[in-house]
Amino acid sequence: MEAVNSTEANPFGYAEPIWERFTHPRHVGEFAAGTPGVVSGEAGSKAARSVLRLQLRFEAGRVADVRFRAYGCPSSIAVGAWIVEWSLGKTAAELAALRAADLRKALEIADDRAHCALLGEDALQAALASYAAKS
Amino acid sequence: MIYLDYAATTPLDPRVLQAMLPFLTADGSFANPASTHGPGYKARAAVEKARAQVAALLGAEPAEIVWTSGATESNNLAIKGALEFHGGGARKAHIVTSRTEHKCVLDTCRHLETQGVRVSFLKPGADGIVSPEQVLEALTPETVLVSLMWVNNEIGVVQDVQKLAPLLRERGVLFHVDAVQAAGKLPIDLRATPIDLLSVSAHKIYGPKGAGALYVRKKPRARLAPQMHGGGHEWGMRSGTLATHQIVGMGAAFEIAAAQLQSDAEQLGGLRDLLWQRLQALPRILRNGDAERTAPHVLNLSFEGVEGEALRASLPDLAVSSGSACSSATQEPSYVLRALGRDDELANASLRFSLGRGTTAEQIERAAESVIKQVQWLRELSPLWKP
Repeated sequence: MEAVNSTEANPFGYAEPIWERFTHPRHVGEFAAGTPGVVSGEAGSKAARSVLRLQLRFEAGRVADVRFRAYGCPSSIAVGAWIVEWSLGKTAAELAALRAADLRKALEIADDRAHCALLGEDALQAALASYAAKS
Repeated sequence: MIYLDYAATTPLDPRVLQAMLPFLTADGSFANPASTHGPGYKARAAVEKARAQVAALLGAEPAEIVWTSGATESNNLAIKGALEFHGGGARKAHIVTSRTEHKCVLDTCRHLETQGVRVSFLKPGADGIVSPEQVLEALTPETVLVSLMWVNNEIGVVQDVQKLAPLLRERGVLFHVDAVQAAGKLPIDLRATPIDLLSVSAHKIYGPKGAGALYVRKKPRARLAPQMHGGGHEWGMRSGTLATHQIVGMGAAFEIAAAQLQSDAEQLGGLRDLLWQRLQALPRILRNGDAERTAPHVLNLSFEGVEGEALRASLPDLAVSSGSACSSATQEPSYVLRALGRDDELANASLRFSLGRGTTAEQIERAAESVIKQVQWLRELSPLWKP
């Protein structure tokens, strides 16, 4: 899957970590229904113009594979891409420690987009709640 | 980079630049056109030639053209000037305008509201059209002025100002028209259309930024109170030393626009139709504004299932607008599209393509290809999209 293919390097002035993940997101999509060990978490709303859906596939207590889909501004898409990439290899306890402030720092999210980081935290917490319920 | 934002501004035509250069430096006609010496008269003659060039495109008399710094000033002068002249005393003056006017008209009217003027902001139909009947119904005995744009800058819709003008004349109501997007795109003949005040700008038709004009009818005379006081330039209607080089550039641009009116319109309309045809390969896109009553250079579309900022960011090689350049910094969904009844999501997920003389069929093909690809990609990325 190919995302933004540009000869212009970030002409809009997005923070580089956001631009990089917005233009080259990995792990986009979802697992086939019934894939063992998969938990999902979703946050946001269409009315708020941002929805993030994360899927984590656990194997022996650690995240073995990930998928995400996002509807929203470049920052919210980048948040989804960053979280799933960061999640790989981690335990639920390690994932539970992630806060919006960490996302803001990692992706250099500006104050006026702080809600994109909260969207990420909420979606991950929703996935972890689903994991806890299944375990 | 493919530039498809000509409704925001155009590059200077090289012929216009050449016309402007002799009016800047010591070896040229740099003198103040108000000075009563040889070099001053020479500069004055250039200003008057430009006045005639601008008047010619509009079907006006040169003495009906008042120079301004641009259309924002022209619209301010027309509306505030008319209201100040006619709206004084005990009368509760009233203005009729529409919700899809340019910000500089809306904000001027809102400012006048704070001064006690009553304003009716008419809601256009879903097609973007404000009918003449709607305007007539809104008139009251206190109505001083109707202000309506000829061509909408965001959606390209053409208002029926030619039908409305004589109806307002019969009723003794002044008619101001913002014709910034109409000049050079549609034929304008003010001898045949009884508009009283009409605003134009240079930089939308390959002239310099910082130059504009207000047409002020002589017969019957449209009276205005000046908004810029000083040396009494421009028949006292707009004081300030005239920017000879800018004015000369505007004149040259208007002369070229008059000569190329038909060929420009044919080129732009053909390419606009090609773009629309190509983009219809995408399901669930909506054209904003009436597709028939439209200027040739604008195509405004809403794309279901994508978020507007992400859409624009995903097209870094395409210079297009969401809404008008003047308000897109706020990233709010377009107030024009919302006035047409589009919901926030569709108003936000919109692109305005505006074409110009530099646009080629090859650019249109490439632009359409990237838009299709990126919309498909963002839809695929979305957890909400159901094909």
